[in-house]
Amino acid sequence: MERTVVVVPEAGLHARPASTLVQTANRFDADVSIGRADDDETVSAASMLSVSGLNVAHGETVRVVAEGPDAADALAAVCSLLTTELDEEAGDGGETE
Amino acid sequence: MNTLTGVGSTPLSGVGTARWYRPDADLTLPDRPDPSAVDPAAEQTEFAAARDDAREAIRRARDRAAARVGADEAAVFEAHEQFLDDPGLVADIEAAIADGTPAAHAVHDRFADAIDRFEAMEGPMADRADDLRDVRDRVLSALLEGDADAAGGSVAAFPDGTVVVAERLTPSDTAELDPDAVAGIVTAAGGRTAHAAIIARSLSIPAVVGVGDELDDVPDGATVLVDGEAGRVVVDPDEERRATVGDDEPPVVSAPVSTTDGRPIEVAANVGSEAELDPARARGADGIGLFRTEFLFLDRDAPPSEDEQYAAVTAALEAFPGERVVVRTLDIGGDKPVSYLDLPTEPNPFLGTRGIRLSLSTHADPFETQLRAMLRAAAHEHGDSLAVMIPMVTRVEEVEAVLETVDAVAADLEAEGVAHAVPALGAMIETPAAAAMADALAARLDFLSIGTNDLTQYVMAADRENDAVAGYHDPLHPAVVRTIDRTTTAAADADAWVGVCGEMAGDPALTELLVGLGVDELSMSAVTVPSVKARVRDVDAAAATRLAAEAVACETRADVRAAVGLDGDD
Repeated sequence: MERTVVVVPEAGLHARPASTLVQTANRFDADVSIGRADDDETVSAASMLSVSGLNVAHGETVRVVAEGPDAADALAAVCSLLTTELDEEAGDGGETE
Repeated sequence: MNTLTGVGSTPLSGVGTARWYRPDADLTLPDRPDPSAVDPAAEQTEFAAARDDAREAIRRARDRAAARVGADEAAVFEAHEQFLDDPGLVADIEAAIADGTPAAHAVHDRFADAIDRFEAMEGPMADRADDLRDVRDRVLSALLEGDADAAGGSVAAFPDGTVVVAERLTPSDTAELDPDAVAGIVTAAGGRTAHAAIIARSLSIPAVVGVGDELDDVPDGATVLVDGEAGRVVVDPDEERRATVGDDEPPVVSAPVSTTDGRPIEVAANVGSEAELDPARARGADGIGLFRTEFLFLDRDAPPSEDEQYAAVTAALEAFPGERVVVRTLDIGGDKPVSYLDLPTEPNPFLGTRGIRLSLSTHADPFETQLRAMLRAAAHEHGDSLAVMIPMVTRVEEVEAVLETVDAVAADLEAEGVAHAVPALGAMIETPAAAAMADALAARLDFLSIGTNDLTQYVMAADRENDAVAGYHDPLHPAVVRTIDRTTTAAADADAWVGVCGEMAGDPALTELLVGLGVDELSMSAVTVPSVKARVRDVDAAAATRLAAEAVACETRADVRAAVGLDGDD
């Protein structure tokens, strides 16, 4: 199963949001992959290298694909993350001086 | 006993064990053996063990950062752990080992691929390459030296009693240091005004910078005394010399202080990052008189979000509940590299588009975001004591524009149903123009804060960074004293409080003069808070007022210096 969503976090899929996404994807018994909506290729959402390597910015449309026993839950959790701005507790994880 | 000379950058002393910090030093790999000589099974076991060590080191660093600085700073270590456990990367390394590559070389090669890939990308990805280097070095240190904490980039991992010795320290290295564990800092490069030096001062870490190449001769493990007052570093100090450490430090007074005749004077701290809040509290600061927000904007590729700024401001409010926290809006100009702000290139950035001029120019969006964060923070449970000040004010129109923007932002937040309040608002008095208009500014605002460093520079028309005119750069020139007097008088007439947040505020020799000029608040590097508090308690406000009147009447710098009891022109 798959869904297409627009990335809401201001920081895009960098820093904190990428980290949280990988954590979430790893929590489920499912293979989750992610890629740009206009690109057939997807990468594993369990890989921090691959997710941050996508270099997806705020406002871009991405496709999330999930397979496996917990696919539905994993898809819902990942998409909810992609469409929610992090709360102030989380910040955007940007480096400060 | 061997003494090296540099520039004292934090006026405190400390003694400890020298540990070199070499973030750039590449861990040297042994020569590549022939694949037939490698035992892949043993290398796989070593790699797995090294990853476990590295993971533990990363978690320790994360916990330290979370405890000392906050969740934002700790988050980067979560990413480090994910890089360490990246399934693709681990599989690649394991495959290389299976082909007969020793674990260390496999780690080095496969990380190099990933680092190259990230470096080729633009924007925030370049920072990720640095993160990958950190992780790689932890694994390599574990493999080659059996110690994942030893890797460069783990400056926070020094054991108690360390004197950090380095060619130079970056601001982020310095901010990561644990002031309780680090007895001192000595660097070969750098000056007193380097950003890292300012952070070290804020963290109250004894520091001597600019020692030069002689520092190379200080070996790891040597006992080193850092005398930040005299700017000296003593290697292998004798007992007598060691016994002098800490003698000159006045006791910390946490309670607010008053003059002998009962006039309360707020003694607050200047801070430039969240990491400096706790040290400021520990030095007995009554609040924050200058919270610089530049750290939120520098060294990054996108402006900080409203939430991030809100978090930083509320962290300060929570560190000083019920005590005043004065946050300065973004104070930068063309001299600072901030890629995403598209700052103008100007022949003289200090006379150009900086501070409020920049905020009100084409970059109004970041300014509104900053004000939104401030107004939201003012509704925080400790938000009543929040104050916001505007830098580089020269015209009444600027203050009126800020007030209008504040109203507009408040209306937006109201319409969105977001909790908010309007904090106390003030202007920095750093320009002769602002001092001349102080009555009109004070009538529109709650307070004025005199930035004596820039005020001296602009009143005396003398560049702060130009040694040739260093003699002009003294706030005891009568022109500066009179400008301060004019400002405090105008503030008092308008029932606005007035503070001083330049280096002058942290000099106990000038406390009486400033009290006499009518200043209500002195804000300074936290390290000088105890000595200024001690001085305030000895000052008689009535006598101080007479002293100030005498200083204002002076016509030469030498006369002012004599009036406050200092020797003539240096």
